[in-house]
Amino acid sequence: MARVAREMVEKAGIDVDQLVELLVKNAAAELTTYYYYTILRCNLIGLEGEGIKEIAETARIEDRNHFEALVPRIYELGGKLPDDMKAFHDVSACPPARLPKDPTDTLAMLKVLVEAERCAVRGYTYICNLTAGKDHRTYDLSQAILNEEIEHESWFSEFLGEGPSGHFMRRGETSPFVSKFLK
Amino acid sequence: MKEFTEEELAQYNGKNGNPVYVVYKGKVYDLSASFLWKDGTHQVLHRAGVDLTEALEQAPHGGDVLEKFPVVGVLHGVGMSDIPSKP
Repeated sequence: MARVAREMVEKAGIDVDQLVELLVKNAAAELTTYYYYTILRCNLIGLEGEGIKEIAETARIEDRNHFEALVPRIYELGGKLPDDMKAFHDVSACPPARLPKDPTDTLAMLKVLVEAERCAVRGYTYICNLTAGKDHRTYDLSQAILNEEIEHESWFSEFLGEGPSGHFMRRGETSPFVSKFLK
Repeated sequence: MKEFTEEELAQYNGKNGNPVYVVYKGKVYDLSASFLWKDGTHQVLHRAGVDLTEALEQAPHGGDVLEKFPVVGVLHGVGMSDIPSKP
């Protein structure tokens, strides 16, 4: 634990135990999404599916990066991950991004993907609002993750016909915003 | 439609197997089926069994997220004309 770092956050008026619980729930959401996206990606096949596979893969890898970036902050603040993997899955801040009943239904898969990203966007917006001006490090981290989640949402929503995302796919490197927390 | 007092509503807090009810703009919603309201808690800070109208104004989502959940009543003291047809 980073004792003084925790004290600073407490002194700023944040209930650190609640914040840690929130971070653990979001870390669970990231790792479980990484798992469920693995299954979705494997099933994104055929003429429709192949076009989405690449962005699903990028989102999957970046969600794992988000998990990796969140974990140190949880421990810095005196928290820890649950010992039991199943318990960790069940406290997730977002519902499981399960494969639709018909795994050939690409539209249904896209809806699962976009809903998962929207849940994440809401979750990190919430943490940013909670920590703004009070816990600079958690804010910085959450904002970096939020930037990537918003891009994921826009990539998938573009395929749903909700309008252009306005930007390009990644070129090589993943996690342009979060990578500074992984070095 | 059933009318809930604040005391009655407080029992539906999602604890010990109780249903998860929350109030938004006078309507009582049953969120028991929501993954995001397990054990009557949402995003760590919000509890079931209370009026969340004010809290929802600050939330990173609108009241439309409640549309897919059943309305099981209204909060006592809120006139029907005050309740919007949509969340």
